[in-house]
Amino acid sequence: MSNKKILIVDDDPDVRQGMHVRLKANHYDTFFAGDALSSIAEARKHDPDLIILDLGLPAGDGFVVMDRLKTVPSLAVIPVIVVSARDVLANKERALKAGAKAFLQKPVDNAELLKVIRQALGEPALTVRAVVHDLGSIT
Amino acid sequence: MTEKALQILLVEDNAGDARLLREMFRMEGPDTFELTHVLRMSEAVIHLAKGSVDILLLDMGLPDAHGLDTVRLAHSVAPSVPLIVITGLADEALAAEAMKEGAQDYLIKGQIENRALPRALRHAIERHRMQTETDLNRINQLQFKDEFLSHVSHELRSPLTAIYQFVTILLDKLAGELNEEQHNYLGIVLRNVKQLQSMINDLVEVTRMQAGKLKIELQRTSLSDAIVYAVNTLQGAAAAKGITLTSEIALELPLVCADPTRIRQILIILLDNAIKFTPATGAAVVRCQVFGQDPSLLVLEVSDSGCGIAPDMTERIFERLFQTPDPATAGRKGLGLGLFICKELVTRQGGQIWVTSIPDKGSVFFITLPVFSLPNLIAPALKRERHTEGPITLVVTEIGSQTGWLSAEVRTEQSQGVREVLQQCVHSDLDILLPKMGLSGATELFFILAITDEIGGAAIARRIQERMASYEHIQQAGLTTSTSYRSVEAIRRNAAESMKDFVEKVASQIQEIMDQEISLRMVNCE
Repeated sequence: MSNKKILIVDDDPDVRQGMHVRLKANHYDTFFAGDALSSIAEARKHDPDLIILDLGLPAGDGFVVMDRLKTVPSLAVIPVIVVSARDVLANKERALKAGAKAFLQKPVDNAELLKVIRQALGEPALTVRAVVHDLGSIT
Repeated sequence: MTEKALQILLVEDNAGDARLLREMFRMEGPDTFELTHVLRMSEAVIHLAKGSVDILLLDMGLPDAHGLDTVRLAHSVAPSVPLIVITGLADEALAAEAMKEGAQDYLIKGQIENRALPRALRHAIERHRMQTETDLNRINQLQFKDEFLSHVSHELRSPLTAIYQFVTILLDKLAGELNEEQHNYLGIVLRNVKQLQSMINDLVEVTRMQAGKLKIELQRTSLSDAIVYAVNTLQGAAAAKGITLTSEIALELPLVCADPTRIRQILIILLDNAIKFTPATGAAVVRCQVFGQDPSLLVLEVSDSGCGIAPDMTERIFERLFQTPDPATAGRKGLGLGLFICKELVTRQGGQIWVTSIPDKGSVFFITLPVFSLPNLIAPALKRERHTEGPITLVVTEIGSQTGWLSAEVRTEQSQGVREVLQQCVHSDLDILLPKMGLSGATELFFILAITDEIGGAAIARRIQERMASYEHIQQAGLTTSTSYRSVEAIRRNAAESMKDFVEKVASQIQEIMDQEISLRMVNCE
């Protein structure tokens, strides 16, 4: 089975590289974009299974990127996880409303990031565990 | 250049007093003042609402409002209109109180001099203008501080992210093997990254508190669950320092009325402190039981065998930015926000926090929280109405997701907004919006206890549905809402029954209905 492809959109090259090393070690292939404009071009080019998106970007911001993705049918279906240093209260709801699967605040715990990625990709083993966890907490 | 005449609204029911004041203004000339005279507060409110009044002269004894209520009412209707109260000689103390409620000045009947009157008016207007300006400055300053801190925390988090990423990459040996020394040193870097991160979080939290943006959602909450969570979370940190961390929880503890997320936050701060200030081979213990002095409270204790707190510091440690004066005991100074945050969170959940300590022996932090009691929640409504028989209706509002399952995140994000909308739909004296009753399956349930019959219940439900339909957060988040009502079986108070027994009887019936509603959703989500 081939690796899943993840597009990392972040204007900080250090953060992009850090994310790349972590994701590669977990058997994901990564591609990069450093601004809002090139993120759409890279998404078209590589057809990723998931996009990790920063909010503060040159040439637009993460919200603009999400709006733009929605206008292209083939890109609209790609799940987006927002990873940003911005304030949770002011941005989380807005990001989820704009279509993001999750909002994670930087710095993101590695385990948390990987968990959310797997959930967004619909990888079965962990989805089942998440449901069990949810149900377990009710009783 | 002629100035526009000053529009004065005089609210005075005594014809003689009113005539006297009218005469005084007439002597000042018709272009200077234009007086409108009304007799009642209700008329004054209508005039104020029109918005053309420059200053209000208000008698504190009116047929339809009295004393400080007149001032509060006027101030709430027209906060931007300067206000002078008129009072009798015997009421000077009351007039002084009125100034705390927003009046700029007071005049004493029989002691108003012709020449002093216009001056008093102009002073009041000027004082009001300055006050408004000061308030505005304060708001601007707060907003600036808010924006500044939000900016700073954002800028600090970005480089911290890269540090965290690469330290963990090295620690997880993704860049090759490490020797033991390298591993230890990187562990130190990671610990400091986490400390920096928690400082940034504390800063943001305190800013939120001061801006009144803190979210607290009271609900039926288990303290033992929170304790188990916090002890598990910090077990590793305690073990690393050679400290034993244990909990002693009394059996069959009642649930409290609190926000579970905030309780966990409080416990983590206290346990983190206990570990920080306790030397190796020491111990930290969390205890929880019913409070001996008041069974309507639970008391949580976090004790340590650490360096203790000097007696003159036991109050001050809860102050913002307080730091221990002896750095040797703390190792590294923090921001001095942890205990301040604890105190704010505890107080806002209706509890208290304090500490007892013996230097060099250790400290015990105590927190009280109110036991969740449905009878206590509903008693005021039943007593106010002297409600001994007749209709009680439970209105149930359900927020669901189109996907079938409401995520924990959406629940917390939407709850406060929904509660605010519901609060607007109830009659504040007779209806009670009950706190969250705990987990409710695939959807989120809100209960309103209304002292009314089925027709009244239907009216409330209709009002809620209308409001929800125009509540944009719910619409935008793609959530579904539905509201139903269930009348509680006719409950009659026996002649021999005490009010307390009666309230408990009603409470148990309501609890039963709520449990039914909740279990209905549990079945649905399986």
